[in-house]
Amino acid sequence: MRKLAIVAAALALAACHEIPQDAVKPYAGKEDTKAYAGDVFKGDKVAYEKALDQRAQYQNDYAPFREAGKQ
Amino acid sequence: MARMKFICDAERCIECNGCATACKNEHEVPWGVNRRRLVTVNDGVPGERSISVACMHCTDAPCMAVCPVDCFYRTEDSIVLHDKDLCIGCGYCFYACPFGAPQFPQAGAFGLRGKMDKCTFCAGGPEENHSVEEFRKYGRNRIAEGKLPACAEMCSTKALLAGDSAVIAKIYKTRVTTRGKGEAMWGWKMAYGGSEKVSDNLGAKT
Repeated sequence: MRKLAIVAAALALAACHEIPQDAVKPYAGKEDTKAYAGDVFKGDKVAYEKALDQRAQYQNDYAPFREAGKQ
Repeated sequence: MARMKFICDAERCIECNGCATACKNEHEVPWGVNRRRLVTVNDGVPGERSISVACMHCTDAPCMAVCPVDCFYRTEDSIVLHDKDLCIGCGYCFYACPFGAPQFPQAGAFGLRGKMDKCTFCAGGPEENHSVEEFRKYGRNRIAEGKLPACAEMCSTKALLAGDSAVIAKIYKTRVTTRGKGEAMWGWKMAYGGSEKVSDNLGAKT
């Protein structure tokens, strides 16, 4: 009777586990070169990130350099 | 590492289609393929809003999940790209994408579809950076030049922001918390730093 209860409990809880949804999807194509690997940054990742950060700031209307330009 | 995203500020977008034109021109996108387009809500009704839509480079991209040939990959900057040499043009990604980003050029008679084409965040594809092959298949690689996508950089009202999500979210937050209401959101004063409009000087002695 006890064994039966254990088996029943195991079956009842079988659907309670969660299948991982965030498994990394495999990629079957060609390997891409890194964005900073070209002639411009020559593999310098820090310079690449800095350049993009600086570029993103040009989109900021409220940046201090813009406020200074209005005066 | 950066997580590249787009934000479109619906309060600023004036539906000029500058972003779509910049994209078409930058990558020489063929007729019938629109990597970026404008969507207008309540078109023609006062208070209508427009947003510029392209691939949003989802963190958990559904196109990547449904692709039967696994041709999608994510770069270090979280940009979702795909290998056109592998794509079979099945269209599953189109059905999975909530933004309608994947585009399929007509490749012949009887509605035959070509390989999928979509916004690359101006980051090219799996070819040598700045090579002829890369440009032919995916367009120009501006990211490798340290530049942001052409659509966002060409946006005249800076409605479309592109870049690292943390950086552009901060820019957007500053904008929203600083700007006022009505015309102050994007009006004469904001654009030119001072108002000379008659409507702003009503009641003033001349």
